[in-house]
Amino acid sequence: MSLPLHERATDGNSFDLVRMSLLESGAPARVVNALIPERLLEEGEQYRFHFDMTKCIGCRSCEVACNEQNGNPAEINWRRVGELEGGTYPDTVRHYLSMGCNHCLDADCVKGCPVDAYKKDPVTGIVVHSADACIGCQYCVWNCPYSVPQFNPERGVVGKCDMCQGRLEDGLEPACVNACPEHAIEIEIVNKLEWRVDHATADSPGMPTARHTLSTTRITLPPELETATLERVDNGQLRAEHPHWSLVFMTTMVQAVVGALSVMLLAHATDTVSLTLLAILTAVALNISVFHLGRPAYAWRALKMWRRSWLSREVLLFGLFFLAIGVCTAASWAQSLGFTHHVMAVPILGKIAVLLGILGTLASAYIYLVPARPSWNMSHTPIDFLISAALIGAALAPVLDQLASMLGSYWPRYFAHQQIHYRAAPTILLAIAWLANQLVRLTRLHGSSLFEERASFSLLSSMQMRPAVMLCVGLAMGSAVLAAIGAWPLALVAATGAVLTARYLFFVSVVPLSMGLTFIQGRHA
Amino acid sequence: MSLLQIAKRLLGIDIAREKYAYAEDPLFGHISESRVAESWVKTTCGYCSVGCGMLVGIKDGKAVATRGNPDHPVNRGKLCPKGLSEHHILTAPGRATTPLLRKDGVLTPVSWAEAITTMVSRITDIQSRYGRGALGVVGTGQLLTEETYTLGKLVQLGFGTSNNDGNTTLCMASAVSGYKLSFGSDGPPGSYEDLETSDVILLIGANIADNHPILCERLQRNTHRTLIVADPRVTKTAMMADLHLPVKPRSDIALLNGIAHILIRDGLIDHNYISAHTEGFSSFAEYVTTFTPEHTAAITGLSLAAIEHVAHLYGTAKAAFIGWTMGVNHSTQGAVTVTAINNLALITGNIGRTGASPFSITGQCNAMGTRETGFTSGLPGYRKFDHAEDRQALAQLWQIDADRIPSARGKAYPDIIEAVITGSIKALWFVATNPAVSFPNYDLIKQAFETVEFLVVQDGFHPTPTTAFADLVLPAAIWGEKEGTYTNSERRVSKVNKVVDPPGDARTDFDIFLAIAEELGIGPSGKAVRDELYPSWITTHDAYQEWQRVSAGRACDYSDISWDRIDREGGVQWGGDRLYADGIFPFEGGRAKLHNVPCEPFLEQPDEEYNLILNTGRTVEHWHTRTKTGVVPQLNGMVPNAWLEMNPVDAEALRLRSHDRVTVVSRRSRVAQVELRITGIVAPGQVFMPFHFSEANSNLVTLGAFDPISREPNFKQCAVRIERSPLR
Repeated sequence: MSLPLHERATDGNSFDLVRMSLLESGAPARVVNALIPERLLEEGEQYRFHFDMTKCIGCRSCEVACNEQNGNPAEINWRRVGELEGGTYPDTVRHYLSMGCNHCLDADCVKGCPVDAYKKDPVTGIVVHSADACIGCQYCVWNCPYSVPQFNPERGVVGKCDMCQGRLEDGLEPACVNACPEHAIEIEIVNKLEWRVDHATADSPGMPTARHTLSTTRITLPPELETATLERVDNGQLRAEHPHWSLVFMTTMVQAVVGALSVMLLAHATDTVSLTLLAILTAVALNISVFHLGRPAYAWRALKMWRRSWLSREVLLFGLFFLAIGVCTAASWAQSLGFTHHVMAVPILGKIAVLLGILGTLASAYIYLVPARPSWNMSHTPIDFLISAALIGAALAPVLDQLASMLGSYWPRYFAHQQIHYRAAPTILLAIAWLANQLVRLTRLHGSSLFEERASFSLLSSMQMRPAVMLCVGLAMGSAVLAAIGAWPLALVAATGAVLTARYLFFVSVVPLSMGLTFIQGRHA
Repeated sequence: MSLLQIAKRLLGIDIAREKYAYAEDPLFGHISESRVAESWVKTTCGYCSVGCGMLVGIKDGKAVATRGNPDHPVNRGKLCPKGLSEHHILTAPGRATTPLLRKDGVLTPVSWAEAITTMVSRITDIQSRYGRGALGVVGTGQLLTEETYTLGKLVQLGFGTSNNDGNTTLCMASAVSGYKLSFGSDGPPGSYEDLETSDVILLIGANIADNHPILCERLQRNTHRTLIVADPRVTKTAMMADLHLPVKPRSDIALLNGIAHILIRDGLIDHNYISAHTEGFSSFAEYVTTFTPEHTAAITGLSLAAIEHVAHLYGTAKAAFIGWTMGVNHSTQGAVTVTAINNLALITGNIGRTGASPFSITGQCNAMGTRETGFTSGLPGYRKFDHAEDRQALAQLWQIDADRIPSARGKAYPDIIEAVITGSIKALWFVATNPAVSFPNYDLIKQAFETVEFLVVQDGFHPTPTTAFADLVLPAAIWGEKEGTYTNSERRVSKVNKVVDPPGDARTDFDIFLAIAEELGIGPSGKAVRDELYPSWITTHDAYQEWQRVSAGRACDYSDISWDRIDREGGVQWGGDRLYADGIFPFEGGRAKLHNVPCEPFLEQPDEEYNLILNTGRTVEHWHTRTKTGVVPQLNGMVPNAWLEMNPVDAEALRLRSHDRVTVVSRRSRVAQVELRITGIVAPGQVFMPFHFSEANSNLVTLGAFDPISREPNFKQCAVRIERSPLR
């Protein structure tokens, strides 16, 4: 991108002012004493925002100007103003934050995106998002510590601040910079290497640390500020996050299949009926997951960034898992129908499928290990995913086995099946392990030094969520009891119910990192 | 939407590319295509009195964008969030589009002819039964200057009632009265430019960061200033200050007198100015001797050092500026508080000079226009009811008998409401104001609405809490749908232009007034009212030209401010940069008056039962009663509900937590389900809530007490207690 040097005109009145003069001829706007850089970028440099907290009066003109610039609906704000407060009356201190995208050096939105919709512009350093490439998976929303990318349900894609790249290219300041009556926002040039070494001025009260992603926004703090005393004013209000029902079901079902297949292989009981049902379940689960996307038609694109994105890897591994279980099932059918007598084909393919399934489950768990979502970013997440798979699998395998026996008694020619006796002890142990993992997680959230983790605990212990937590614990214990008495179908229902409930709570109780917002508006839902 | 389109949307094949496309605006560059305009209309913002110049973009006959006018001297291209989104109100829902007449208890659409005929016949019938004064009219600072002028003549000369006032009495009446008391005339003497050139700026009860944010830029450009903010709350403006004076509620008079005391004690006064241009100094000097720093400190709660420091800053300033808004005006002592401010300016000669002014920062976009042209608390052109020569001059200009012009002011706004309840006023006509939310002590005005025989509400919006009570709703055009002028706080006359047509059958207020005059038929002089009051008027420009003649030679002289000149110069200040540069004041003898102002405690002091002081105010995202900003999703989304600010000390005593829902209870009534904000912004013992929200109307609990001079309500202090709201 070439940034034209600006014509400077000094009329004596334009001190420190972005001034666009309407010329009679309709000539383009002119910038005087710009709040944007006056030279081209050199190698190793990029643009960044500078926000001067000492100048901001919290008028929120920047927010409105941003929405007007980008034609966004009121619910979506690519630039947001937050309020910070500290001290005791009358020595109360109030300050404001105005933040768009921080155009980070190590942007997690870029790294996580499964479709490469994000580009860090090699010249300007602007983190640009392509709506055309985006499939609306919202993984960037989870990844960004500042909650910058926002999903637009009307479009099915996310969107974010692009520093008004189109305006910068024309030598015009971004809309927020232009609108600010106090000149508190400007664009400046940062040397990327130097910033990597020292980015202390990116940190501010009310903002997550710049360390995670190397936010480039420079913030001028009031000199007298005892930063320790300034607190976000929006911390008292917690809103439940989106439950992502399709993900609740998809993760639970795929884990159930992986678990059941593993159990069946361990029991040497890979019958055709069970395999077929597992393959169907996998197909259903993967199809459900597509409806998590804002643009289901382009789900296939999610494979693209498997070298970088855990989401791509999950899609790839679960895709391969489905292929493997499909082939395994086909082999089993071939065997049942007498086309082949290779007895080893099914267990070998099954083991491949299990390996892919476990790897897929781990990739799935790694999606949630993002610093921007502290209550997800814990070892309990992969542990939960694996134990959940085993727990439901341990209850599902006997049920499948019973089904296969029933079918076998009707059509012994094809589905002759010798019922296997599954023992209850592993299921009971898994239920206890699963519960223990959940309870340790809760305890750690409660005692955490991180606000967002404690806030997740507060949400889980709120009147609104407490019943679901109780239900979850009850179902898990119930599954153990029911397994002990051999009521496998009921044990399966209880175990699945426990995992579904826990997964729902997992999604709704996460409190993302974010910049501080205003008291009334509160944390972004 | 067809099924195919819905499917494409659900599958994500359609991502609304057109709606979210960008394009190049020839004037303003890269922007959302939805905001690219075909043409731009130069106009002035219709919200507050700062009077920012703006450009509204039009595409396909619709307003699509707003831009600050970079060439406008007031705002130089900047706008606040309300201004930046102002085009949205021209496409907003909730507009009144057809006249509505209450038939069998239900507001029913009727033709304009029926509406106007009914209105005039009902009012004239009431007037014939109860006397002309049985009609009370309340106008607004939202109208054009031309419309206010037209309305004044219609009410006073057409309907022949002097019970004519404006919602400006809820807003800046105290400033008007104070200026008249001190200087002999209304008119803020300074300019916004003074904020840039002054070296000591004292803001009293003025939260300009929330209410006049575009003025804050001036303070920032002024690098040598000391900004002092006196406010009981730690407002956004207080945070800008070099020195915040956290005064106790209504202790401003003591602070001002205390400063005067120190200035006189230490010789920091301008003896030459005092002797040449003022009267009453010796009495004043004697009076403020009692306001010793110790006494002042006891009343204001400030430290001795702070009081001395502020007095010395003000006294040694090269050019000192005092700005105030509603913290001063909204008081039973508002008018005299203004004179106490003026006292300081007069004894130090800080008036009529660059950077030096006692400056009332007005509220509504055209409050000043109503002050000058209004036929309410004075006669048009700052003429006085009780001056025979003023009445004679007007009669001559209007070619009517002088005895048709009343020799005394009619009832002020609160007295009109009281007269409805006591039965002497039987018909009410509200124009572009929403008293069901904005008037103090809601129960009283509700009783008035229910008592009055005939209630006409003329507004751009319906339903509003006020139109709900109306017998007749007249749908009016709003800002952006009509042409005329506004005058801002610094006396700058700016053009307001038509961007789009009013919706449905809505008509401009000007047209409505003319139609009513037409319907009035033959007046008392035997001539047709329409022809007598508005001879061959067709447009607001005709009204403006008459106003130019009427104001000629007056302080607010518009005679050489033609619409063309306003267009050319981007607004013209009547009276020039500043008034009273020669030190001559429009009193007989030409001297300004110093007033001895006692500091009295506010009326309803907290007690055991009602233990907290409720303060009310505004927030930057909203305008007044939200009939406009409430329908702009961007603004309403930013602050969708009211809140109550309470100090942590009080919250702890009440065992309340932030975001709890609380009920504010006063001796009048209660407001329930207000979101609690626990904050150090307010002092222990005080609570604050915004008045914008009809859903949680602070005026249910506010006190119906009024300034004896200005008749302005005391919105800022009343005694309340806070309870936890029952769970809904």
